[in-house]
Amino acid sequence: MIVSYNWLKEFVDFDLPPEELSHRLTMAGLEVDAMEYLGAGLDTVIVARLESVERHPDADRLTLCQVATGSDTLPVVCGATNHKVGDLVALAQVGSLLPGDFKIKKGKIRGQVSLGMLCSEKELGLAEEADGIMILPPGLPLGQPVFEALGLKDVRFELGLTPNRPDCLSIVGVAREVAAIVGRPLQIAHQAPIEDGAPSSESTSVSLEESGLCPRYAVRLIRGVIIGPSPEWLVRRLEAVGMRSVNNVVDVTNLMLMELGHPLHAFDFNRLRDQRIVVRRANDGASFATLDGQQRVLCADDLVICDGLGPVALAGIMGGENSEVGPETTDILLESAYFNPATIRRTSKRLGMHTEASHRFERGADVDMVPIALDKAASLIVEVAGGTLAQGMIDCYPEPLPERQLTLDVDKANKVLGLKLASDDILSLLRSIALEAQPAVDRSDSILYVKITAFRPDLEREIDLIEEVARLHGYDQIPVTMPVSRMICHRPAPQQRLVRQFRDAMVAGGFSEVINYSFIAPEWDRLNLAQDDCRRQNVRILNPLTEDQSVMRTSLVPSMLESIARNRAYRSLDLRLFELRPVFQPQDSEELPRESLRLCAAICGRREPLGWAQGAEDVDFFDLKGQLEGLLSGFRLGAVHWDSSQSETFYHPGKSCILRHSSGLLGSIGEVHPQVLEHFEIDQPVYLLDLDLNALFGATVTGRNFQAISRFPDVCRDSALLVDDMISAEQVFAVIDQVRGRFVEDYTLFDVYRGSGIADGKKSLAIRVRYRSSDKTLTEEEITTGHERIIKALKKQLGAEIR
Amino acid sequence: MKEQLAELLTKGRAALSAADSLEGLQEARVGLLGKKGSMTAVMKGMGRLSAEERPIIGSLANTVKVELEDLFEGRSKAIREQELQQRLSSERIDVTLPGRTAARGSKHPITLVTEEITEIFSSLGFGVEEGPEVEQDFYNFESLNMPKDHPARDMQDTFYVSDEVVLRTHTSPVQIRAMLKQAPPVRVIAPGTVYRRDSDLTHTPMFHQIEGFLVDRDITFGDLKGILTTFITQFFGKGIGVRFRPSFFPFTEPSAEVDIQCVICGGSGCRVCKKSGWLEILGSGMIDPEVFKSVNYDYQKYSGFAFGMGIERIAMLKYGVNDLRLFFENDVRFLRQF
Repeated sequence: MIVSYNWLKEFVDFDLPPEELSHRLTMAGLEVDAMEYLGAGLDTVIVARLESVERHPDADRLTLCQVATGSDTLPVVCGATNHKVGDLVALAQVGSLLPGDFKIKKGKIRGQVSLGMLCSEKELGLAEEADGIMILPPGLPLGQPVFEALGLKDVRFELGLTPNRPDCLSIVGVAREVAAIVGRPLQIAHQAPIEDGAPSSESTSVSLEESGLCPRYAVRLIRGVIIGPSPEWLVRRLEAVGMRSVNNVVDVTNLMLMELGHPLHAFDFNRLRDQRIVVRRANDGASFATLDGQQRVLCADDLVICDGLGPVALAGIMGGENSEVGPETTDILLESAYFNPATIRRTSKRLGMHTEASHRFERGADVDMVPIALDKAASLIVEVAGGTLAQGMIDCYPEPLPERQLTLDVDKANKVLGLKLASDDILSLLRSIALEAQPAVDRSDSILYVKITAFRPDLEREIDLIEEVARLHGYDQIPVTMPVSRMICHRPAPQQRLVRQFRDAMVAGGFSEVINYSFIAPEWDRLNLAQDDCRRQNVRILNPLTEDQSVMRTSLVPSMLESIARNRAYRSLDLRLFELRPVFQPQDSEELPRESLRLCAAICGRREPLGWAQGAEDVDFFDLKGQLEGLLSGFRLGAVHWDSSQSETFYHPGKSCILRHSSGLLGSIGEVHPQVLEHFEIDQPVYLLDLDLNALFGATVTGRNFQAISRFPDVCRDSALLVDDMISAEQVFAVIDQVRGRFVEDYTLFDVYRGSGIADGKKSLAIRVRYRSSDKTLTEEEITTGHERIIKALKKQLGAEIR
Repeated sequence: MKEQLAELLTKGRAALSAADSLEGLQEARVGLLGKKGSMTAVMKGMGRLSAEERPIIGSLANTVKVELEDLFEGRSKAIREQELQQRLSSERIDVTLPGRTAARGSKHPITLVTEEITEIFSSLGFGVEEGPEVEQDFYNFESLNMPKDHPARDMQDTFYVSDEVVLRTHTSPVQIRAMLKQAPPVRVIAPGTVYRRDSDLTHTPMFHQIEGFLVDRDITFGDLKGILTTFITQFFGKGIGVRFRPSFFPFTEPSAEVDIQCVICGGSGCRVCKKSGWLEILGSGMIDPEVFKSVNYDYQKYSGFAFGMGIERIAMLKYGVNDLRLFFENDVRFLRQF
């Protein structure tokens, strides 16, 4: 909503400078989004009179003028042809900066000195196009800035209004707020129009069939108008609030829309079949061409204004082509109505038509404004377009909307706001915005009765009035206090703590956290997912912005690979990324999907950053596995089985596995399948893990038990075992665990070797076993016995040989 | 023997002083005081001395021995010191060479800001609740006083999954879910991901919010101002200007928009604050009686306030990030800065 400073002043007498007004409006809840100073910086463009106009001696198309500025007479060269001696013109003096950063300099044009420029409306930013220079109306004082002389100096405020304040969608509505701010009355006068035509009821009629959807419908008839351009003042007025002039009749209805906030519509009376109006529901499937040339298909929920045969307007939204006012129009039927907000909203939403009219009607227009706006518009149309106004307004208002009265408990208001206002304070606050408020003498001193005017549809309950009290009193006047509230224990849920620990652990491992959109493209083939994979079942968005963002992801993997690819495109090649976010899996019997947290991490590139003392190797599977093992041991998960017999389709089948735990499947880890990498245009190995955090949290053991530490010395024994290449480390560990005696403190696999000296199909594993007792120093014999037991078991069960 | 001892002392002094390495010194000591050394040889003559002479010579021999031992110790210390100095002056590393590093990780700025805000409200006694991102229309709109035909729905462009299911447009539905679970007093914040069908320079279709609310007896609008002012000074620092101005949200009444003094220009007006000197960072208000009705709270008995803020906006202000889209491009050159 755009309001003009000058226009506001017509309705309330105030002297706040524009900046202060802007601040006060914002603090009253009418947020000023932007201010625009019309004519700002153009004070050096002044009114001047042409004293002489002669042809330029050296240029046929130019004239050499002498212009009087009141204090001086200056030579100016001008290229226009529409000026003559005696005209008042707009002179941009030397030094002026015109819109578009156009600076006026002292100069010589074809040898003649020119001390300024005579401006066109376009050059002053007053019009889009101009034919010749601007000729000012006679009588303006010489030397006065043009914008000031024409009354064009103005400030435009762009208000960002909240949907609860339809009353402020007009100059008068905002002026009412200004009046409350400055404590002065709103000056608004209603004048009955002069009617000198035949009674309107002889020429037309209104049949209101849907008084529920349209509680009030009024018309006035004006005959003999001449459609033409609007007078200057009307054009300027509309421009002041950013509207373009159309013709005199339409401009008047727009002026009323802006000034009073009440949408009106003008029909070409002679194009109405049977010359009557019927307000009814549309026929299902009926087609109707609106003013904008679009064909609209209607339904029985839509309210239409019809003539004797069919629709001529979509009620409260837009008129029809078939009854549009045009240059030939002579008789006008002017409509002013109040429509049910929900009806207008439904139709406007369904048809995707958002108009100035629908914007107001769906938020709630002022039913009492119906006759006022109609009268004022009718008077103005007669004034600017001629014609005679038929006698009498046809005003169908069969069941007047009930008067609304609310009670306001002063104590309650003070209690909610933390204030100590007296009844009288509150009364005067409410009265300042034209609400009739009285103490409830029949009840108690602290109860007020408040009559709600029709222009405030948002005031429906006591709390709405309490808000008005706070707003008018000023939010900044409410003291800052700290709440007194009973204590409750609000310890974070274990899961919330674990999530944070997980993030911290990943960051400590050198991973950067990414956040990708939850909606992705449903392109699961990129992951080679099986056709029956449940992750292909997606929550689909009905109105996505793009197909790339059309389903809620069931896996974090595609976005992770995209993140890797995007970073690599920017030449960031050594990556360690993770994402910890929910995925959305539809559930058959539930309306909402199952949202479960997952952790996806991926690495590629160098293991260590490039450096003189750093290793140059690239990462491999075991870098990521190590990170994962660190996480798992940090969460005391107990035995995890790295099951390579099964894997995900997006991994290299020989370099991946799934993670099993006694409580279920925890996730998977592996090298990304080369084909999948190709789908994502990544040309370097990527290692990835994908964990189900809910499963992980379920398996987490939170308690910890202290293990006594021994004070006796340890002894280590190393052995190199030659085993079949197919024997897994896990098998070796299982054997050791099975036969380890109580003196084995721990053991480590510290080397794996294949190659020269080792037969094909074999590998050498080096293990170190650490022996220690908690209560004595072990003898050589005890250690040897223990170690031989392990070696024997490895030989027997795995066919290991000692090297 | 006296002369012999005197000569030993003179010889000893010279030998020990002349030694210039620990080995040489040790050799000299053995030659003087060792089992087969000069002192032992001299002392062999003790048996031939008279009973009167013996203690005198014994004591003299002891003095010589002690002096030579001391000399040895002193010399040995000096040589060690000298050798150490020599070693230290010859050994050098270039300490300006970069150290061995591992990759450095980073939390996403959205996470960092969420954690910081959560920490502030936790210290004020607020608990953390979460709710689904794919949400029923009832929780997202209906129960928050936004019936189907309400113009307020226009304030939030919505992604629909079905007529009754939406991607939540704000974290406010968590308020409803939390209040349905527990009776007052409640103090909860709810960080989370939200979605709106809007994408341009200043809007991403997914973003993050933190919702917070407090319900108990006698909670006032002044309390709302108190808690939020405390939060703002904790987060942005003391002395930053805060203002509350009227606004509208269907689920609060009275509603307030909270502005802070522009952190970029300090309030004098710049591009970021659109020359107003103020930045909008929070929406808030007293919880609407209609909301209490949807969760069966007694409006006569309880009152409360609620607030919500966009994390991205706060992160942009905190870190001076000038492009919203950076948060979701996941460029490590951006991420590693946090």
